Amino acid sequence: MPAGNDQLISLEWQPVPGAFGASIFPLIRKIDTISSNSYIIQTPDVILLIDPGGLADQAEQLMAVIEACRLACDRPVFVFLTHAHIDHFIGAQHLPAFAYTGGAVFSVQECGADTLERGDGKLTQADLLGVSQVPMKVGFRLLTQQRAEVRGVPVTLSFSNGAEVTVVQDRAGTEPGGELVRERITFGPGPQIEVFHTPGHSPDSICIRIGELLFIGDILFAANPGIAGLCGWSQEDLVRSLAGINSILSGGGIRTVCPGHGRAIPAGDAARILSAVRNDALALADIAELNRERAIETAAFAEDCMDEVNEIFTIMAGRLYYISYVMDELGEPEIAERMYTQFNGDAIDELLGAFRDFAEEHHRHENVSIHLALKAGQVIARLDRAFKKDELARLIDPTLVQRAGRLLSDYTTTLRGFHPPGDLAVCDITHQVKALITGLSVSKCSNEDMLASADDDAAFAQMLLARVGAHPLLEEIDLTLEAGDRPLSAIVDRDQFSDVLTYILEELVGTGSRQIIITLEQAGNEAVVTISGDTARREVPEKQKPWRFLERLCARAGGRLTSTEENGLRRFVITTGLE
Amino acid sequence: MEISSATQEKGTVLSLTGRVDTATAPTLEQAINREIDLGHRKILLNFSGVNYISSGGLRVLLASAKKLKNPDDRFGLTNLNPEVHKILKLAGFTSIFSIYPSEGEALAGW
Repeated sequence: MPAGNDQLISLEWQPVPGAFGASIFPLIRKIDTISSNSYIIQTPDVILLIDPGGLADQAEQLMAVIEACRLACDRPVFVFLTHAHIDHFIGAQHLPAFAYTGGAVFSVQECGADTLERGDGKLTQADLLGVSQVPMKVGFRLLTQQRAEVRGVPVTLSFSNGAEVTVVQDRAGTEPGGELVRERITFGPGPQIEVFHTPGHSPDSICIRIGELLFIGDILFAANPGIAGLCGWSQEDLVRSLAGINSILSGGGIRTVCPGHGRAIPAGDAARILSAVRNDALALADIAELNRERAIETAAFAEDCMDEVNEIFTIMAGRLYYISYVMDELGEPEIAERMYTQFNGDAIDELLGAFRDFAEEHHRHENVSIHLALKAGQVIARLDRAFKKDELARLIDPTLVQRAGRLLSDYTTTLRGFHPPGDLAVCDITHQVKALITGLSVSKCSNEDMLASADDDAAFAQMLLARVGAHPLLEEIDLTLEAGDRPLSAIVDRDQFSDVLTYILEELVGTGSRQIIITLEQAGNEAVVTISGDTARREVPEKQKPWRFLERLCARAGGRLTSTEENGLRRFVITTGLE
Repeated sequence: MEISSATQEKGTVLSLTGRVDTATAPTLEQAINREIDLGHRKILLNFSGVNYISSGGLRVLLASAKKLKNPDDRFGLTNLNPEVHKILKLAGFTSIFSIYPSEGEALAGW
């Protein structure tokens, strides 16, 4: 490793700092869910491969490097897994060089060894990712219960590759609650390695220390949406392991932390990131297990949600461009130009386009759901970062901006394994519907407001922008509300109920309805809201509003949704329970 | 995206097929500019083959509307898919340029 540089250089041999005679050949990949990074380390005694990865090509490439090392100086080969998830090892599964007896010895924490030997596709995530996996022999079980019974006593083990290894198990870490089971492994007179049991991301996760490098597997991502909740994940273990790793880092002597995915990180930065992971993890009590069924459901929601995200972000961009056009017409070119800086349309288009391409490819190859769900999560996280909510809400209809924000957070919440929060409460829906209609019919900025601001240039410009930007949805619509005089007290989530109504009204207005009738009535012990609109279309649209999305949203709002279309009339019916 | 052009007595119709997104919007803009350079200032975009428009596409439509705002100029869209119509309507664009149900109805009024 070059002096003063904490970065490892991928695909180059470099010395391992703090481990005399050891060198490392990292294979650092762009982050994805298919395959991990891999690291080859050679000492005078042994050749170690940490995580052969999830791709056969990658494993072959690594084996070629290992063979070259053995040609220069033949030594036993051990393959350490930071944990037995398939993206860390499946590439090596069918490679003879790894598989033949007497070749590379797989070295895995005891729980992971059991998982691999019985071919448990749930714990390795093979089932979730739709990958076939056969049982594998693990020659070197790490951090065993048996050695825990002789803690502190050196145990010598002999292996099929000719190696004789000494292992001492003890406990490491001084931070309260952060003590970790450790094994110090010596392959000969050269540098020893240490492995620490750090469960949480999986029951068998380990960290490996060699010299001043600490290999930490996937713990940096363990609290991420779509990762937290994987089969074998444990919040309690994760929080404890994070404390343990923090204790190792604060003990000094670690220069660089090598994650299972992504670039190596200076130890100081890693400590800060791990602290953030701990905070995230602490908020993840009671999340649902991320299994195949939930992945399928989440992926379906992802596609529906992304359709809506696509639409709502395009409309928001269009509103800004519209304001820009009008301000330009009004001789305000600077304000017009400023509108384009409020929304990075090209970057957002690219993100949405990338998801669309990914989804098309996904369906073409019938890929597994979790990849689509994770891709949507990635795109939504980036959109969320690029989305200037407060600035936009000052320029365009704030309810549109809030709805976009809720859409993004609902998906992230779902991917995390929580149900998006619903706040069901008794609500007079007659009042709620009337208030919504008023909000969608009247400009946020009245003539009186405009006149009142006429003496102040800045206030007038802001008022003008607000007036142009918040074009009331129902302004030109002939809308009739048929509701009795009595309150209709239903049990709904107010925000979600308003969102459902708004989506339906937007659908009707956007596709050409000029006349809309909303009726509210009581039918038995239910409240029924019917929204009907004439349709100007000459033909039935190829694609209706994603039905599952609205159904799901309506269910979260506390209702059921049905829809019909006949004789030039579209009708949406929301039924909710009464108080 | 494919664009075919047909100039008639009453105006030029550009028929579009495919997506109008960030990647293809420059092609559409070039096609419209080419017609304007040729002196064709009554332009109708036939969207019957378009099922998706992104913000990049919206920007090109507005830029074109700005270039065609002399009293004798015309700029309009026809045969919009409901999803595309919805985006234009909710973005407020339907108050900037005209949307016609068919080519015939558009050109008859030009």
